[in-house]
Amino acid sequence: MPSRFSSVVPWGRAHARAQAVMMNLVSKLKQSNYQIAVVTAVLVVILAFWKPHVLVEGLQRACLYAVIALPMALILGIVGIINLAHGDYMMLGAYFAYWLNVYTGMDPLVAILPALAAFFLIGIASYRAIIKYVLGAPELNQLLLTFGLAMVLEQLANLIWTSRPMKQPLKYVSSSANIGSFTFGTYEFVYVAAAMVVLVGLLLFLKRTDTGQAALAVGQNPRGAKLVGIDVDRTYLLIFSLSIALIGAIGAIFMTRHSIFPLVGAPFTMKSFCLIAMAGIGNLTGILWCSLILGLAENFVLSFRGYSGWADILFFALIVLVIVVRSRQRQVK
Amino acid sequence: MKNWRYLLYIVIFIWLLTLPLYTGVYLLNVLDIILIYLALALSWDMLLRSGQISFGMAGLFGVGGYAAVLTHLNAGLNPLISIVMGGLVAGVLAWLIGMAVLQLRGMYFAIVTLALAEIFRVIVRNLPDLTGGPEGTVLPSAIFAGNSTKTYWLVLTVAVISVIASEIFRRTRIHFALTSIRNDEIVAKSSGIDVFKYLVFIFAITSAIQGITGGAYAHIYGFVSPEGSFSVDFTLLPIAMALLGGMHSTWGPVVGAVVLGVVSEFLKLQIPYGHLLVYGVIIVITILFFPEGIVGTLGQKFKGNR
Repeated sequence: MPSRFSSVVPWGRAHARAQAVMMNLVSKLKQSNYQIAVVTAVLVVILAFWKPHVLVEGLQRACLYAVIALPMALILGIVGIINLAHGDYMMLGAYFAYWLNVYTGMDPLVAILPALAAFFLIGIASYRAIIKYVLGAPELNQLLLTFGLAMVLEQLANLIWTSRPMKQPLKYVSSSANIGSFTFGTYEFVYVAAAMVVLVGLLLFLKRTDTGQAALAVGQNPRGAKLVGIDVDRTYLLIFSLSIALIGAIGAIFMTRHSIFPLVGAPFTMKSFCLIAMAGIGNLTGILWCSLILGLAENFVLSFRGYSGWADILFFALIVLVIVVRSRQRQVK
Repeated sequence: MKNWRYLLYIVIFIWLLTLPLYTGVYLLNVLDIILIYLALALSWDMLLRSGQISFGMAGLFGVGGYAAVLTHLNAGLNPLISIVMGGLVAGVLAWLIGMAVLQLRGMYFAIVTLALAEIFRVIVRNLPDLTGGPEGTVLPSAIFAGNSTKTYWLVLTVAVISVIASEIFRRTRIHFALTSIRNDEIVAKSSGIDVFKYLVFIFAITSAIQGITGGAYAHIYGFVSPEGSFSVDFTLLPIAMALLGGMHSTWGPVVGAVVLGVVSEFLKLQIPYGHLLVYGVIIVITILFFPEGIVGTLGQKFKGNR
């Protein structure tokens, strides 16, 4: 009966349109990106009323994770190797900014610029000396090589600077603001800013510039890119060095707030890979959403007294879960 | 020719067995460490022969150590039986994990094993009632009351067991199954090899060896702790040894363990902090310049000369 009227009666058309909108929404919800966004939004609203601390600190922590994971995702997506020494380059960047501050008094946030330049060169050197030779090698060799590289960097730092944690006192990092009776640190929003700048910058670079387009093409199909005249080796070199430069600069931001020691970067390598695996290789925006979920969830667990030790497990449990579930999905298809 | 070879093995074995009669305690302690890493390197290589790389060795090593210590303290098991229990627990755990994650290949499997090792460490650290929490658990006394000769024989047994297991896997159909899985999984599957079953089997066996080694280590030194028993050393050093010696063979990891074990004893005296740097450099150089390792490179040279 309703079907006969639906085309005639105005509310029937509105109903149909609403239905179409709903269908559209439902089909969008089936995409993992939108699912992740919706889950995040619901979590955020609940948290804002219940535990505002968790929300603000979780946001800051999430953006720190995201900004560290982004350069790694760039390397993995385009050069195609998983860099297990990723966090250790960040550690080097932190030490770079630290010693620049000690000797010249340069502010670590200003040291971002020299760090970018220095780590671009370090990236070129690493690529030319080591990475280049395993590009065509089996995955096993790549993993072991970057694993060995991570050990070299960590132990070198340990040898030169010892394992004593170092920290430079900076006045502005402990600034805070109030909303009603709720006090929170404002300096940590620098991570949020950094994450936004890096993400938007990378997206613009990849989508709007010729070099970025060439890099994307190389990431999709190196042989095809070579056929249309793209210098694949130079693109690899550029992307690798660019990522190392970014992570070095992030190290400079990182050392303003955290004390640094040789093993400070290692956990971030794992966490970055976890985020990339969750978002899917090549999905830069997805990394931000995934890190929001993880950052909020981690701070949520941390906020319970006596159970904070379990927060570390969240990341690793999630990475195992996500990878296993994804592999099952792929098999079903 | 072949019989001479077996005779050589027996002579070497008897020499190793009677070593405590005419050497000092220091050398025996060094040998203990070398043999423990030898067993770990071999077990890692045995899994590698199927093309799967595991970074979770330290996790299963630590689980074996904790299982051995806890069954000894709480259930009152004989230390030797509790070491076997450590292997059993690690093996069963790996079997269960393998059923869940061995669909994964390459870097995904590697990362998952690394994550699992971290998960074990966090769990152990956060269960103070059972495991002693971050401080770990100390045994009232080391195994055999610290008698270095008996300790050496125990470690030698563990190492010989892993060498024999490795040789058995080299000579039976398991070897062919694993090698074909490594070379081309689709071909292996279409020639009737149950890939998943073989992978779970080899993962459980190698993990059991790692668990036994961990149990022996825990009983020899008389304590377990989250940072000590799950130390990244137990992942890194065996990998460096197997790589340096040569992958996919029994004698590669053995040679690598002996060479690196002796070298590291000297390095420890020369550079107390950061002697691990040398291991990292060895891994990088080996991968870049001679991925076949010592045994593989020498073997090729001899074959070329003939």
